[in-house]
Amino acid sequence: MKPFWFLLCANVRKEYIELKRYYPNTLSLIFTFYIVFLAMLLGIHVIGDPQQVDTNVQYVIVNYIIWFFMLATLQNLGYVILMEAQRGTLEQLFMSPAGMWRILLARLIAGLFLYGIIVVFLLILSMLTANQWLFFRVDVVMPIFIITTIGMIGVGFMLAGLAIIVKQIQSFLQILQFILMGLTFIPLSTAPFLLIAPFVKGVDMIRQVMIHGFIWSDFLLFDYLSLMINSISYFFIGLIIYFKCEKTALERGLLSQY
Amino acid sequence: MERDVVIEVKNLKKTYKKRKGNEIIYALNGVNFNVYRGEILGLLGPNGAGKTTTIKSICGLIKPNGGAVLINEIDSNKSRLKALNYLSAVLEGNRNLYWRLTVRENLEYFVGNRGVNRKNEQGRVEELLLYFNLKEKENELVSSLSRGMQQKLAIAVALSANTEIILLDEPTLGLDVETGYEVRELLKRLVKEHGKTIIISTHDMPVVQDLCERTVIINNGKVIADEQVDNLIAFFDTRAYIFTLGEELTSQQRISLTENYPMCNINFNEIEVIIEKENDLYKIMDILKSEKTVIEKIDRSIVDIEQIFLKLTKEGSKE
Ligand SMILES: Nc1ncnc2c1ncn2[C@@H]1O[C@H](COP(=O)(O)OP(=O)(O)OP(=O)(O)O)[C@@H](O)[C@H]1O
Ligand SMILES: [Mg+2]
Repeated sequence: MKPFWFLLCANVRKEYIELKRYYPNTLSLIFTFYIVFLAMLLGIHVIGDPQQVDTNVQYVIVNYIIWFFMLATLQNLGYVILMEAQRGTLEQLFMSPAGMWRILLARLIAGLFLYGIIVVFLLILSMLTANQWLFFRVDVVMPIFIITTIGMIGVGFMLAGLAIIVKQIQSFLQILQFILMGLTFIPLSTAPFLLIAPFVKGVDMIRQVMIHGFIWSDFLLFDYLSLMINSISYFFIGLIIYFKCEKTALERGLLSQY
Repeated sequence: MERDVVIEVKNLKKTYKKRKGNEIIYALNGVNFNVYRGEILGLLGPNGAGKTTTIKSICGLIKPNGGAVLINEIDSNKSRLKALNYLSAVLEGNRNLYWRLTVRENLEYFVGNRGVNRKNEQGRVEELLLYFNLKEKENELVSSLSRGMQQKLAIAVALSANTEIILLDEPTLGLDVETGYEVRELLKRLVKEHGKTIIISTHDMPVVQDLCERTVIINNGKVIADEQVDNLIAFFDTRAYIFTLGEELTSQQRISLTENYPMCNINFNEIEVIIEKENDLYKIMDILKSEKTVIEKIDRSIVDIEQIFLKLTKEGSKE
């Protein structure tokens, strides 16, 4: 356990240094987020049903924030691996006796943590701008959120594995934003089959809490169970796919841009 | 004296599929050699011989199709992570570092990534910065360093892992003469002071002559020589001759000489040749005599590792 803690520290530190050192990139990320948010607000006020403005705005805030958070962590991970394969540092990472999958796990957690901080800031900014105050019961949201991120980490592993063996992953990373949009914006009630898709159940529950003020006792056992089964399944599926990709990469010598 | 075997490369085979088409490249065709504790081994071979593939197989970055690599008796394929505890490497090119991080941050990040507490390693990091003359540059981004400085840092990073074995794939490639010299001196000092087991793959013959005790020469994915450098030189020393002639060779003589001795150097009235057997000396004399060429003198020539290397690899590709 202790070695993993040092791995985590090293990766949080590196990610933090890069976010700070290349702050124009970080700022432009935040700025783009905000501009798009303003455009959406305007859209709701102009074309939306005036009766529904408040709920619509709340939906947008929650969906958009979660989408942004997932996109930032997952896309960042994919691009970083691509870049490291080109730069050659990927091979150095693979030479760590800690194991690449642990480094990836540390990186994913580091990303979730740092982008999480940015996202909380953006959430407050969005609520201030729209003057809409969501329910924010940390004790209810946090556990649901953490279980949801376990599934996200699984998806991160899948992406990382693919990025290692498929060098054309770039275009897929572009499409990823639309896939994630589908998964975060479509409510489960309109598409129940999405229950088996990653994160959808968790996002749905977070919406219930933040918009409708649900508390622990408002959810059914089924909700908790399906959330956990979904997240844990994706975590393991992700890991298995990652290990398969790692094996292929070692067999074909794909770790350096050949 | 029995020496400790640290790395055992056993009948290593590796094929690659070409990206386009179904052509199969045989990169390694059964490579065998041992590496002993505390020695510096030079891995030589022409471009595409399989040096990098061998090094990466040892590092567990490539899964061989056949054979095995044992690191302190641990199979580097079956127990990859366990074997990696003993290894660190500087791989080909200037691609071992994070260009967006500073010198110190690179050292610390790589230490952390091995699951080690970076705070406990401050002393080591400090020592390495001083040793490699990088202390003044510790807060500069790697992207702003010269190629030579980057290479020194890459070696420092490999050392920061404090492993028993270090692999260096062409550590002086792409450096200018002066920086190449500097890196070579540094490696020399390192070897003397740190007593590590080091494998260097290189095309840089002065590196071999200066640093390596033993050399393994690979050609077409096979080991064609595995010898102490001194023995190799001594062996060839007795077999290199220079013929000084009274006149130029006829074209007929040139042809039969180059056909039989592809490694001979013909210069106006001078022939430099490395022979295999005593008998060859008489054969060459026969070729010369056939046209009644005057032989003014025959001298022993001094060979260096480069000539030996060229001779061995040329012979290999003739087959
Ligand atoms: N990932 C790969 N995919 C396909 N072919 C490869 C791959 N890596 C190496 N090869 C091929 O395998 C052979 C051996 O390559 P290797 O890089 O081991 O040679 P080398 O001795 O290091 O050469 P150099 O002196 O040029 O560095 C070459 O023919 C090379 O083209
Ligand atoms: Mg090479």
